Amino acid sequence: MNRIYYPLTQAALAALLLSMLAPAALADRFTEADLERWAQEYMAVVDRGEKLFHGGLENENTVSCDQCHPDAANTHPETYPKFQQQLGKVAVLGEMVNWCIENPLESDPLALDDPRMVALQAYIHEQRRLVPLVPGKH
Amino acid sequence: MTRLTPRRSVTLSVLIAGLGIPMAIAAPLGLPPVPIPGDNPQTEAKIALGDRLFHDPRFSVDGTISCSTCHEREKAFTDHRRLSEGHSGLLGTRNAPTVINSAYMEQLFWDGREPDLEGQSKQPPVNPVEGGLADVGVLVEKIRSEPSYVEEFNKVFGVDAENITADHFADAIASFERTIIAGDSPFDRYQYGGDESAMSEAAVRGLEVFRGQGRCVSCHLIEETQALFTDNRFHNIGVGFKAIRGREAEIAHEFLKAKHAGADVDKTVLVDKEASELGRFAVVEDINKVGAFKTSTLRNIELTPPYMHDGSLDTLEDVIDFYNNGGREKETDPLTPFLSGGIRPLDLSDQQKQDLVAFLEALTSPEIASQVTSTEIITGSTGDQQP
Amino acid sequence: MSQMNRRRFLRTGGAVLAAGSLPFSLVELAFGQSGPEDFTFAFISDSHITHIKGDRFVRNWDRGMIQAVAEANLLSPRPDFIFYGGDIAQLGTPEEIDHGLEILSGLRGDVHHVMGEHDYYLDLGEHWRKRIGPDHYSFDHKGVHFVVLNSILTWDEWTHRKWDTPMQRMKEMARLDNPDGSPFMVGDSQREWLRKDLSNISKSTPIVVMSHSPLQKIYRGWNFWTEDAEQVQELLKPFDKVTVLYGHVHQIQYNQIGNISFHAAMATAWPWPYPKTFVQEASHLPKLTVEMNRADPFFERDGTGWQFINMHTGDVDVHYALPDNENRVVAFNEQQDQPVDTLYQEESNRIPPQDHY
Repeated sequence: MNRIYYPLTQAALAALLLSMLAPAALADRFTEADLERWAQEYMAVVDRGEKLFHGGLENENTVSCDQCHPDAANTHPETYPKFQQQLGKVAVLGEMVNWCIENPLESDPLALDDPRMVALQAYIHEQRRLVPLVPGKH
Repeated sequence: MTRLTPRRSVTLSVLIAGLGIPMAIAAPLGLPPVPIPGDNPQTEAKIALGDRLFHDPRFSVDGTISCSTCHEREKAFTDHRRLSEGHSGLLGTRNAPTVINSAYMEQLFWDGREPDLEGQSKQPPVNPVEGGLADVGVLVEKIRSEPSYVEEFNKVFGVDAENITADHFADAIASFERTIIAGDSPFDRYQYGGDESAMSEAAVRGLEVFRGQGRCVSCHLIEETQALFTDNRFHNIGVGFKAIRGREAEIAHEFLKAKHAGADVDKTVLVDKEASELGRFAVVEDINKVGAFKTSTLRNIELTPPYMHDGSLDTLEDVIDFYNNGGREKETDPLTPFLSGGIRPLDLSDQQKQDLVAFLEALTSPEIASQVTSTEIITGSTGDQQP
Repeated sequence: MSQMNRRRFLRTGGAVLAAGSLPFSLVELAFGQSGPEDFTFAFISDSHITHIKGDRFVRNWDRGMIQAVAEANLLSPRPDFIFYGGDIAQLGTPEEIDHGLEILSGLRGDVHHVMGEHDYYLDLGEHWRKRIGPDHYSFDHKGVHFVVLNSILTWDEWTHRKWDTPMQRMKEMARLDNPDGSPFMVGDSQREWLRKDLSNISKSTPIVVMSHSPLQKIYRGWNFWTEDAEQVQELLKPFDKVTVLYGHVHQIQYNQIGNISFHAAMATAWPWPYPKTFVQEASHLPKLTVEMNRADPFFERDGTGWQFINMHTGDVDVHYALPDNENRVVAFNEQQDQPVDTLYQEESNRIPPQDHY
């Protein structure tokens, strides 16, 4: 019997191996259900942020963000980064959030990637959604 | 934000040395170009004349007091006294601020009662506890009666003796003062010169305190490309109010009554200790400027003790304790009800306070330090009545 | 102030007075006829004294009240009295009300009080009334009829809901942006009291209504709102000159609706944003209002202040004492028949800090 051996090119071999390793759903495909789930993930953090914003930081002097910023008004997240007078330098939103936590709230600053900081910023941004970016604006 | 150029100013960009030709002053590291008013351009001859006038004690009633009496180069252009002393051993009510970098100020004097260096220079010669001259007419007569001055004024301003005015005097002195500028401190080299080793580790930590928990940077400005260390505004930080505590209303009214009847603010605030404590209020009559004084620059601060408008704090450590206590010398002292909202207890650790002092010491310009022979606080009168 | 300015000041009631200077030259006017005399009073509001623990209170709000008292004590000649516009406390506790009254006791002059929601919803005003007096009343002064309303009541169903604790109810009302909040109102019985009170007043008598809520409908989401505003305004319509002075909003607002001028007080505690800065909802700030300066939160008193009211021939000029800012004057303009800011009313006179977004 004739056996025909087809030599595998390197590329073909690689493709073969990859197809054996790759999961069934490829990285560049996400569904409506994924979008909805991720939006809920986001809103859960926005929700956490809303609670932190409204007294949830439990700082000793009891002052809360919403006392000066009801509905996160007047926080202007769309203007960051910008020169922040109170810091004497160009800063990002999280740095100003920390300034407020240290000053009017008389409490300790959060790491910029602290889940609480992320939540606060999510809430602040969500309340300001659809406002165009104007970085640098005072 | 800070406006760096007064209304009339034009910043000259061409650097040409030579007599009679307008010249610019290169901005030191960490500072912007010096604002020069359009109607008082710098020339070498004018600066030299201003230098001479600045150091000339003839413009006082007893021939002993010049600008340099209270603003001496060897004392970083101050006098290292708590309160300055004029002719006949007479004591004023305020501490002499340094002339260094005063060119960047938008108002002069602790209460901002003069808008520029020119205006400021005409007041001390005629103040009863400083130069003591009857009026600027006497000052002008003294210039006219000195032939070498007449010649210099003619060369610089193109005027004959009878046309010399106090404004010429003022222009020359202001021109000289606009050359008394200094940056390029270890902080400037670190922050703007890219030299990470220029400041000690303690000073670097102190900069963080300055910007952060110390809450200094909002009034003593540091920005991305320059650091003036002053916001050119007026704040009541709690210094000196003990002198008028509880009697602010009556003192304010006595003062306003006299002012509206024609009393001179410059004379009143240097002669009357209580009126002096009204600060900026005496100038603008604004109800929320009682006891407010101008933010000083902090450059070269280690060379210019004692501190505050009444010279009441001797050392930088005292100053930091004063701020740390929220605007009082002792934690148990009462606070003035007119205290600026920027002042509050800071809760600094001993380490943070030390680091802050190290940082403040890093604001000294080497060229200034080399001129200063001592920073000891001087007490005791030089007047005839000295025991 | 020059002689020329003094004369103009006396005639126009302060419209050209350098804003914020002590009304040193404010001398008594002799108008000669029987009718309203000119007089002044101070108007301080919204201190929100907050108790932390023991003898510790939030320092920031304490300082605001202390400064307002000290500045008001500088006024000379003395104002006829002082009105306190409500929200002396933050959560209405006896400690807070007592501490606030203690600070106010430093004021030289008689104080009349207005009830605020932060004073009321913990114990329905019991401690406040015990220490201060009735929460609605009226009196006459130099020909002007003053009416003080409790305008922060709300629906009975909300007030008397089965709350877990009274403090829970207080905190719900304390939260400005509370989606489960309830609107302010004067209410039926108090409106009836007002109607009766006004029935004996002649139409030419100038009226000043002191209220915590705006007696207008500006932004419901933050209770810059009085549910029965139109009905209250209706009761005030027949009179020649009516001025409503209100607190609650912590910002400069002023308006003219028919015969009624409206003026808001600044808080001594902290500023609130203008409603339009919450872009997700519509709001109705009076178009007349030239907004206050944006505040730098480093200066704790920036965006706070108190008011000095000059009453002349029944019209009201409000002098705002604004720490760390240029003081402002909103004066009644006879020609335009409405309050006008003496410096900034013209669009071309506006300055960048007045741009809120």
